[in-house]
Amino acid sequence: MISFESLSFTYQGGNVPALKDICLTVPDGGFLGVIGPAGAGKTTLARAVSGIVPHAYRGDFYGSVKVHDMDTVDTPLTDLSRCVGMVFQDVDSQIISTMVEDELLYGLENFGVPHAEIPERLDFALDRVGIPELRERAISSLSGGQRQKVAIASVIALRPRVLVLDEPTGELDPVSSRQIFSLLKSLQRDFGTTVIVVEQKIMLLCEFADSLAVMKDGALAYQGQTREVLTHAEELLDLGVNCPRVTRLSRHLSDRLGKPLPVCVNLEEAEKQARELMA
Amino acid sequence: MREIFQYVPGTSLIHRLNPMTKLLLTLLICVAAFLTGNLFVLLGLLLVNLLIGFCAGIARRTLGVFKGLMKIAVFLFLLQVLLTRKGTPVFWIITDEGLYTSAAVVLRLIVVCMPLTLMLAVTRVSDLANAMVQVAHIPYKYAFTITTALRFIPQFLEEMSDIMEAQTARGVAFDKAKGLKKLGMMLPLCAPLLISSVRNTEHTAVAAEVRGFHLRTARSGFRHYPFHGIDVLTLLAGAALIALSAVI
Repeated sequence: MISFESLSFTYQGGNVPALKDICLTVPDGGFLGVIGPAGAGKTTLARAVSGIVPHAYRGDFYGSVKVHDMDTVDTPLTDLSRCVGMVFQDVDSQIISTMVEDELLYGLENFGVPHAEIPERLDFALDRVGIPELRERAISSLSGGQRQKVAIASVIALRPRVLVLDEPTGELDPVSSRQIFSLLKSLQRDFGTTVIVVEQKIMLLCEFADSLAVMKDGALAYQGQTREVLTHAEELLDLGVNCPRVTRLSRHLSDRLGKPLPVCVNLEEAEKQARELMA
Repeated sequence: MREIFQYVPGTSLIHRLNPMTKLLLTLLICVAAFLTGNLFVLLGLLLVNLLIGFCAGIARRTLGVFKGLMKIAVFLFLLQVLLTRKGTPVFWIITDEGLYTSAAVVLRLIVVCMPLTLMLAVTRVSDLANAMVQVAHIPYKYAFTITTALRFIPQFLEEMSDIMEAQTARGVAFDKAKGLKKLGMMLPLCAPLLISSVRNTEHTAVAAEVRGFHLRTARSGFRHYPFHGIDVLTLLAGAALIALSAVI
């Protein structure tokens, strides 16, 4: 379980707190989506889970973050990273090697994954992310989207218990974005991996995340089950978070008809709802 | 320019040599070039360099590097020839000794620079670093420094051209300027470039740390680098080059 207890954090030299009084719990094997306008503190929240805040980015840290009973302040970053895998927002600066295969090998070698197991792990990560053909390529010859997939594969290969991704689909096309989210879902299902993903594409979060955290100015504006959070469509729009069209449609119908309707998060649900209403 | 230090994939004999053999051979050629002042030996070493490039199937890269170095060499040669006062004049202020020493200096420069770039073209940087750690027991920290520096070169150049493109789009005439004028226009860009590189290195350091940088030992490497008969032969050939340059 990951728990934030009244976490507040101000970066060294910063005047405004990046996180304010965050209380949040993510159960083991949960899938949390984090969304909010730019500068809302989403990246800092992701960094706090992986321990990069406060180990690498220093500042005033109040409250606590516990990841599988490890306090992120007391546990060294290296020990935390055995448990938490993180994909950063800035793709280029997280890549360490010059070749794709070496990039995947780096973490596997360092964390002492038995050498007999490594080929299978490499195949697994490359296949699941959908880039087996890039294995022998130089990273400098890849496009932004391909590099992002390499970065994701290099963390997936480590099979961490907790996976934190900061805008993992920022450089990806819609098809690849969906593919990455399906992959995250399958990791959650097959390995019980806890997934925390910062993402701007609300449609993907609605479809794949079990719970949502909406951030604004460093604080949690809304949190809870995805459907529950989506009932605040109007308020979310004020925060700059646009709900999926199907969700707005069901809200609109509910207002017009004057009776509460369940929130729809995808097209199939909306179709079913519309058919039922017409019948 | 961007791919000058980049690995060219291949399966040639040279590619398959132990990375340490390639590194040692590079050093041996460099030492040989410094041991001799004989023009013919230097020319021979240059031929060895070109031959290695051709055998490794990277003829185009080899010639590219050679051409690039020739440009610098011509400039240096002229400077040297005009400044050397010793010897008997052959033509105007140019002396025979000036010609000879200048030729030796520029040849030496080419012979020393070429194997380094060639070695990086036929060796993955990670193999080089891993072999240095596994075989030569160099602490991983130092090997990592080398690989990171080499990894940053293409990124650095990419960023430079990005900044220049952005400036061109906003009306700075980079595309029209040439030579010193262009250089003068590029100088102010060094500040943003430096700032972004420092920030990038910090991010990379964090990324390395969360993927177990501190846990890495000499035994961590997945690939192993045993020495074969051909490695011994190559090193013997390198030693022969040294002997030859020392004697002649």
